[in-house]
Amino acid sequence: MSSVELPHQQPEPATSLIPTLPGAHYTDPALFEREQRRIFQAHWFAAARSSDLPDPGAFRTVDVGGESVLIVRGRDRSLRAFLNVCRHRGARLCVEDSGAVRRSLQCPYHAWTYGLDGSLIAAPNLNSMHDVDRGEYGLITVALREWLGTVWVCLADEPPSFADSVQSAVTGRLGDDEAIEEWGIDELVVGRRITYDVKANWKLIVENFMECYHCATIHPELTEVLPEFADGYAAQYFVGHGAEFGEDVGGFTVDGQSSGFDKLSGVGADHDRRYYAITVNPQVFINLVPDHVIFHRMYPMAVDRTVVECDWLYPRSVIDSGADLSKSVELFHRVNQQDFDACERCQPAMSSKAYAAGGVLVPSEHHIGEFRDWVADAISD
Amino acid sequence: MILVGAVSEIPVGESVRVQGQVAIAVFNVDGEFYAIDDTCTHQDASLSDGWLEGCAVECPLHAACFDLRTGRPSGPPARKPVRTHEVVLVDDQVYVHETIGTGVPAEVVGAGSGEIR
Repeated sequence: MSSVELPHQQPEPATSLIPTLPGAHYTDPALFEREQRRIFQAHWFAAARSSDLPDPGAFRTVDVGGESVLIVRGRDRSLRAFLNVCRHRGARLCVEDSGAVRRSLQCPYHAWTYGLDGSLIAAPNLNSMHDVDRGEYGLITVALREWLGTVWVCLADEPPSFADSVQSAVTGRLGDDEAIEEWGIDELVVGRRITYDVKANWKLIVENFMECYHCATIHPELTEVLPEFADGYAAQYFVGHGAEFGEDVGGFTVDGQSSGFDKLSGVGADHDRRYYAITVNPQVFINLVPDHVIFHRMYPMAVDRTVVECDWLYPRSVIDSGADLSKSVELFHRVNQQDFDACERCQPAMSSKAYAAGGVLVPSEHHIGEFRDWVADAISD
Repeated sequence: MILVGAVSEIPVGESVRVQGQVAIAVFNVDGEFYAIDDTCTHQDASLSDGWLEGCAVECPLHAACFDLRTGRPSGPPARKPVRTHEVVLVDDQVYVHETIGTGVPAEVVGAGSGEIR
């Protein structure tokens, strides 16, 4: 896992500069609409943390690919996802972002009433309509999987293989099928959640996350903790490579001096004092450090606006001890702010004549070309 | 009398709808059986689709709550009671003896005829 070439040993590419997507891909609402259907509705989408819905009746509504998806925990404690649309006249069932219902999901318009399993329980005068088969008028189900303590939904009629898409993105980056289990992410607890409303296209955020050419310029704290980031090669440039903490660094904390918390019990010695980063297309970033995990879910809201929900995850023992998380959280919170500021700086320029044909990727950013091609393929005819 | 079914077919906390002159809902509350008119007096909805809370049923539509022993609503939105019906157990079979005459106020009907055997 850790026996990976050092950045300076990377072979020189034949061409130093390769193109990005053209500017219109970051500004054209019609292209965004196409992405919503071809990418966000077609792939598994990390919609929530399972623990956001602790008890029967707890729900969250999430925008996925332009659809409102309602995730609810049933009386059998299973999570289910539905299109948030009443089958009668189409009213939105739940308008709140999150909450809890007592027993049923009831449309506020005509009181069509659905069980937490989506079945139609009751509606005014329904008993007089003898020809109506209630089974045909339950809520429309959306595919749902839970993995890494995360609720993944897919709007496709035939969702892609979860193993071949989500799980292979994670294992492919770590270079090992089992490695991710070491962090025990499904058992970790949300110690802090910060939601960022970023005025930038979602792809600017993905592309930013994938490269570290900017690290030495905009991330002084991060580069202090991970000195090799000053060379501009992100952990994601490699397979199975974790960026090593600096020799005198105490932990993954904002000042690098504070020690952070005990290493997670499952993390092996070869993953200790290292930072791993994973992108799961199209909207998840996972950051692994020895004592916690930082999990980003992106929610594209418009061509020029993306909401990012970021969870800092710790063992329950750390949370229950009342430990001060601030130095631990502050490091990546600053990184997020620095990154999102950069993305917001780019967004207005995406519609400039100067950027009509797009920009360029330097060698340490060439792996972004794979993402660029993945997007282009997904939306092409 | 109307045959509802075997005792074993109506688990505790469950309900069954049977057809008399009107639809009747039969409930098993911890082994005691109760029968009331199935249709909520507030708006046409089936009380057998509702939720049992002790010895009362809550309508699934607007949460009107009816006492299974008297048929009386606990408060708005329902104002009129539902009729109660006598339940008879014979050889582990549940029967309902339907109260004749619709629209009779529960003040008259409920007290005596809703007793559980």
